[in-house]
Amino acid sequence: MSCGNPVSEEDSLMLRRTKYDKTRICGKCRTNVGNVVIRHAVYCKECFLPNITTKFKRILEPTINVNGTRKKGFKPTGNLCVGFTGGLGSTVLLDLISDCYYSTPTNEDVLKGGKDHPRNAGVWKKATVCYVEICNALPGTRDRTEEVRDVVEQYKHFDFLPLRIENAFDDMWWEKVGGQRSELSLKVDIGNEELVMIPQPIESRDPVAALLAYISALPTQTAVPSAIQNLVRLLLLRTAWSTDSSHLLLGTCLTSLSVSLISSISQGGGFVVREEAQEEWQPTVSSGSRRAIKVVRPLRDIGMKECAIWAWWRGLKVVGKESFLGGKQGIGALTKNFIVGLERDYPSTVSTIARTCGKLAPKDNSEAICLLCERPAQPGVQDWKARISIRSFADPGLASPPPHATNVVSNKTDDLSGPSLTPYLCYPCHTTLTSRSSRGSTASALVNSTPLPVWVAPQLDGKGIVEEWGSRKMERSDMKQSISEFLLPDEDS
Amino acid sequence: MSPRTCALCATNKAMLKRPKTGQQICRDCFFYVFETEVHNTITQSSLFKPGDRVAIGASGGKDSTVLAYVMKTLNERYQYGLDLFLLSIDEGITGYRDDSLETVKRNQQQYSMPLKILSYDELYGWTMDAIVAQVGKKNNCTFCGVFRRQALDRGATVLGVDHIVTGHNADDIAETVLMNIMRGDIARLGRCTAICTQGEDTIKRSKPFKYAYEKEIVMYAYFKKLDYFSTECIYSPDAYRGHARVFLKDLEAARPSAIIDIIHSGEAFEVREEVKATQKVQQTCKRCGYMSSNDLCKACTLLEGLERGMANSGITDRARKKLDAEGPAPENIRTIPFYNPPSSTLVIAVEATNDGKPSTS
Repeated sequence: MSCGNPVSEEDSLMLRRTKYDKTRICGKCRTNVGNVVIRHAVYCKECFLPNITTKFKRILEPTINVNGTRKKGFKPTGNLCVGFTGGLGSTVLLDLISDCYYSTPTNEDVLKGGKDHPRNAGVWKKATVCYVEICNALPGTRDRTEEVRDVVEQYKHFDFLPLRIENAFDDMWWEKVGGQRSELSLKVDIGNEELVMIPQPIESRDPVAALLAYISALPTQTAVPSAIQNLVRLLLLRTAWSTDSSHLLLGTCLTSLSVSLISSISQGGGFVVREEAQEEWQPTVSSGSRRAIKVVRPLRDIGMKECAIWAWWRGLKVVGKESFLGGKQGIGALTKNFIVGLERDYPSTVSTIARTCGKLAPKDNSEAICLLCERPAQPGVQDWKARISIRSFADPGLASPPPHATNVVSNKTDDLSGPSLTPYLCYPCHTTLTSRSSRGSTASALVNSTPLPVWVAPQLDGKGIVEEWGSRKMERSDMKQSISEFLLPDEDS
Repeated sequence: MSPRTCALCATNKAMLKRPKTGQQICRDCFFYVFETEVHNTITQSSLFKPGDRVAIGASGGKDSTVLAYVMKTLNERYQYGLDLFLLSIDEGITGYRDDSLETVKRNQQQYSMPLKILSYDELYGWTMDAIVAQVGKKNNCTFCGVFRRQALDRGATVLGVDHIVTGHNADDIAETVLMNIMRGDIARLGRCTAICTQGEDTIKRSKPFKYAYEKEIVMYAYFKKLDYFSTECIYSPDAYRGHARVFLKDLEAARPSAIIDIIHSGEAFEVREEVKATQKVQQTCKRCGYMSSNDLCKACTLLEGLERGMANSGITDRARKKLDAEGPAPENIRTIPFYNPPSSTLVIAVEATNDGKPSTS
């Protein structure tokens, strides 16, 4: 590289560092001149494309059958649901699924591999592509539903199912996807660390207004992306459930997975680090069968750069997605900047993060499920928080307040006006709703009656939190119905 | 606008915003909650028993100075019944450690605690100045960290103590969790959030400031007007750790609870059983008797490289192979005196940090 100075001596010029270690020849076929360099390895186009397909199948295919083997072909127990964001990863994912399992034979390769080959027979009977539009959660952003529809409808085997993020507060959508209705609607006081719940009679509500009330009540800007991500995840899972899907596939590539792992750990999600990569989910309250949905990220061995090259060579149109990582100051955005920057200087960091996290497991077993994210919740979280930081001298765990504290302020449960949501939340969700910024709260004045997503209240039914007799006068027949399971036959007759 | 009252006592005027909780509180309440939280950390983990001889790893920096002050305060207030000592390591860094050791000597007088200083020069025959002259600034933190851990254990043996406490704070631990994930260091990741690391009958090593924010330690030292030394090590910091530190500070600025959230994550997971089974078994170094994963411990490997003029042999595999190809170590090279721990073996490996502390792993 020349510095432009003709009199400059050759020795004083800085040499450009080569991006590949040894040779420009493809390391796979050892014949062609390479076209791309992936973590110091050189590939030609002919070798790169099948290599990506192999990596994709290596992750996905062992999860398709119940027992993991595929000696007699693929027999998934349900349909397929694909979570589509319009971003690079999900665009590549859709293309790979179509190419590997739903491709239309051309003249040259009619029924190549036989009629039972997954490519010719299809693996899942029905495939739904689900897109969640989040523009109503982020004022000033545009609705991309139609652009996404154009992309998805290029693939004739996929049904397009657009959702909107406000569906998370929409009772009609909830009933449509088979959600159990609760007798009461729940609001919560986010301004109070105990997250006091306020049961209210069911009334029709505007989903968009409820969504905005929820978002604006969050205590920090960093909580907004976490909340949106959680709502999108649950909307996808519920949709996968309602479409009888056995698999929900997400386009999380290796780089995005590393970002979400570090981001989750930075928000206290160490207990569910395994679920960030792969999880099985079933609704905590359901009237149907006890089947589970496998959430798989088939691109988790493929880096962002490889996805971009695939999309470029395959001529894929990437719609793009709203960055809701919280501007420059969100946990997700900070993590992404950090990881992508590291990937430049230390190319193996990204895969090291994913591999390291793959070797971890939660320390304790837990039967508890968080009401908000429906992931496992570690017990004893509140005791831990109280132990490591004293927030009130009225805390019963504190031996004695200091001598000068004669006018101790109580913010604990004794004077709560209702039940607390806190014991039913996991650490990250509780932190999202309560962690304050050092620059003060960004929450609106409506924090004391914040609506909650539609799936929260039904999970509390039967837990003695939202009992009917606590909120309305009941007829004798209704009272008897409520206690019927405790009445002995004689009494009943 | 009337002055805010303290969110905790509701009596005094609030003087500060607590970095850990964001609450606006008075100075007296800050001292009280800071000290009580450290006390809770100590008692809930049953770190000490009456009569224990405890060495405080003292560098003269803010963390170890505040630790010495708080340990003395709590020992008297709650009658722990501990014999407290100061233990310092002189790495031989001119213009840095010699100045900070002067602070430690003043702390010795101020807190009336016996002080033991052990130098790299007397233990290994090398100062850090000499090491940097040979290896340069790039990998010198590896030498310093490995040598310091062993030096602390040897100093503790000389003092006859049961326990070493170090000033690692919540920021250090959160940073180490991230570092170990990024480096894929599963063995260290599994133990870096433990408050106390100890093998059978070995010297315990604990971190009473595990949940104390670095900013609060500085705040405590400031309000208590403690005498501490505050200069970064003159040798280059570990670039990779530097990235993690900047990232953590950014996270903390965005969400102050991030530090504690990362520690919570580190405590919530563990290495899967099948992975644990593949990890190396701990043994003792054949040359110096210190704990090791291989025939030679890391300190002996590094020292041999220095003595034979091939310092990188302890850093890279390629350099190690080159050293091995040159045949066995000559008889006349300096070696570390044989280590006789209070009992069998120790358990923890070493990694350098930039701030004079051994790693949290």
